[in-house]
Amino acid sequence: MRHVAIQDKPLTEPVLLILTSLAAHPRHGYALIQDIELLSGGRVRMSTGTLFGALRRLLEDGWIERFEQEDTSRQKQAYRLTAGGRKQLHLELDRMRQLTRAGFARLRASEAI
Amino acid sequence: MKRTYRFFLLLYPRGHRDQFADEMTQVFEQAAAKSRAGGWAIHLRFAFSETAGLLAGAADAWLDRRPEAVPAAGESPALGWQPQELIEAQRRVDASVAAMVHAIAHHQFARARQLSNQERDARESLRVLREKYGDEYGMSL
Repeated sequence: MRHVAIQDKPLTEPVLLILTSLAAHPRHGYALIQDIELLSGGRVRMSTGTLFGALRRLLEDGWIERFEQEDTSRQKQAYRLTAGGRKQLHLELDRMRQLTRAGFARLRASEAI
Repeated sequence: MKRTYRFFLLLYPRGHRDQFADEMTQVFEQAAAKSRAGGWAIHLRFAFSETAGLLAGAADAWLDRRPEAVPAAGESPALGWQPQELIEAQRRVDASVAAMVHAIAHHQFARARQLSNQERDARESLRVLREKYGDEYGMSL
């Protein structure tokens, strides 16, 4: 059975974007670049070096898996989230939600004074 | 442009190339076609971003390589002692990798390619030694 690493440190932005992109459904490399650009509102255009470096680490950690797509698209290799990757994404989004709430609470408190 | 891209891919560790080179090239070609359609300024920015991404990615791939079969001395309870030639073989691999990262960081790409070949030979020697000692010391190969 493959070892799945669970980490409690905040995820890097490329990793978070890739996991978020794969949360809906599996994608191949170019579809990931396009979706990440869309997800980030055009702010992030991930280079292939950055994308595949992050994909390699995610595969090694067991957060995503690679499989052969059965359709006739140009790219055969696609990636999907594993249960461990989904859990990691939940943890990170929970952490961000908690931080966002705390941040807004502080802002409201200071603006009310 | 594809040939330049393939050249930069030579800077990556062999394992990464074997796993991703074809796929990276395919994705790059699709992204390049889109950027060309956007005009020369967008294409230039794309080329710069890809070059920087590849250089950083290659350095990262060398630095981020996970330890393989040989744990550090004393790390595994099953391995109180390791054969000296195995330790030295691992050191040769590590030294080649460190020199390679240094060469990439200083844009010495011809030297980096030379070191890549050296690293491949060192890794092959290590693999042979792991096979030799694998059963005796309970190493996972």
